[in-house]
Amino acid sequence: MGDPRTPRAPFAPWDRRELPGKFDVEETARRVGNYKWIEMRLFEALGGWVATVPELDVKLRLGTHCYHHAWHAELWHKRLPELREMNQDRLTLPANDAVVTFMDAVTEPGDLEQTIEKLVGVYRVLIPHKIAAYTYHLNNTSSITDAPTMRSLRFAIADEIEDWRDGEMLLQSLLRDEGDVQRAATHQAKLETLIMKAGGITGPGSIGDAYDIGEGR
Amino acid sequence: MKKLLQPDELARDARFSRVDMAERFNDKRTVNRDVDGEPGISSRNQRRLSPDTPGASDAARSLMHGIFVGEIQALEGAGRTCWDFEVGAGEDKVPFELKLDMARQCWDESRHCEISIKLSEWMGTELGEFGESAFLFQAACNADPVLRLTGVNRALEGLAIDVFNTMREFGKVAGDPVLEFCEDWMLADEVTHVKMGSDWLRRLTEDNPERRERALEFQRVVDKLFSLGGARGENDDSPIKLARRFRELAGFTNEEVDEIAGLAKEAAEELAARQAS
Repeated sequence: MGDPRTPRAPFAPWDRRELPGKFDVEETARRVGNYKWIEMRLFEALGGWVATVPELDVKLRLGTHCYHHAWHAELWHKRLPELREMNQDRLTLPANDAVVTFMDAVTEPGDLEQTIEKLVGVYRVLIPHKIAAYTYHLNNTSSITDAPTMRSLRFAIADEIEDWRDGEMLLQSLLRDEGDVQRAATHQAKLETLIMKAGGITGPGSIGDAYDIGEGR
Repeated sequence: MKKLLQPDELARDARFSRVDMAERFNDKRTVNRDVDGEPGISSRNQRRLSPDTPGASDAARSLMHGIFVGEIQALEGAGRTCWDFEVGAGEDKVPFELKLDMARQCWDESRHCEISIKLSEWMGTELGEFGESAFLFQAACNADPVLRLTGVNRALEGLAIDVFNTMREFGKVAGDPVLEFCEDWMLADEVTHVKMGSDWLRRLTEDNPERRERALEFQRVVDKLFSLGGARGENDDSPIKLARRFRELAGFTNEEVDEIAGLAKEAAEELAARQAS
């Protein structure tokens, strides 16, 4: 081994973390508060649905997934004070009224014949939108200043993808004829329209703006 | 989705049949049969489940199926507590952290369902082979979250501690390491759930002794009801033995366990008196 006092670069050649990121502390806290709000609404609904779903395999998966989203809500709850928001309730909010309308529509099916609608809302609409917003945040925040949020985002995304796969497979197994497919598609279109109007789970800009090409380009 | 679901609204597939508690315990295959083989809860004749008891196999299968449907209802009860109450400070509201605990319990109960399904299959039981009474979920319908948690997490999950400990012992005696292994793990979870109930009862009623007393009274009612006519007790031959050490780990004081033992004795005496008259 050479002289241990030989100077080395503070960032190893393979460490490509960057400053700055797209979000300041305030914007990060706002997004995190939106995440917590939506994760809470989701785990509450999954818990409530367990008793209303007759399909045993679905019932047990909802019970498991309920905890995943509660844990995400807890991660975001703990992150808020680290983002200078000591009153966590103040930022535990929906991004806008349209998000509330969307979540009300997602959680509205309560009858035992509505398992398809329940699963469509969560696994074909809400969770894909959460994965999108979390991924956008992960890929655009500063990998140095906001590393704690990134760590939580990675845990959450890993769960979301696994849960999406579970839910999508359960849903596919429930679609037995054209009528079922139509039901699923109709409900998905209704919810997709609502979340489009909301601009995504954190409002407009949830996944940035793909049409923003910048001046002169 | 509506709030405060009733027991008759629980969703089940076609394999399940709903029965009342008396019908459930009068099933000839249950553990609580009289020594002459006649059905019925008779504290005089109840004995601890052991491999050499006549009909032990059916009794164990029945008990395991009862555990399975109990786990479904525990899952549903915890889930409904996530949904039924808003976060806040009023008596009809709950702290955020309580909801997180209930969501955790949902996951645990889902695993318990999975475990008891696998064990039931292992024991040769088909799902729905025994009737389901919705007695457990009944306690999860209370509109006061403290009473609900006390009734479910301290009384019923406390009973689950006793049942799992009994089944774990049965697995040991019967030379069934899979049963013993599974019951041991479920027992650990139940201790956690009862401790959640004990902790939340104390925290939420810290400044409200009257509410605490109402919750404890509700627990007494549930505990007495589920002493099963004396089937639960402290004697070595009690069909379900009070698991004193695990209850203490879960936040019960010695006096509280004594009280449950007293309630069980009372239930047995009342049953004997009814049978004598």
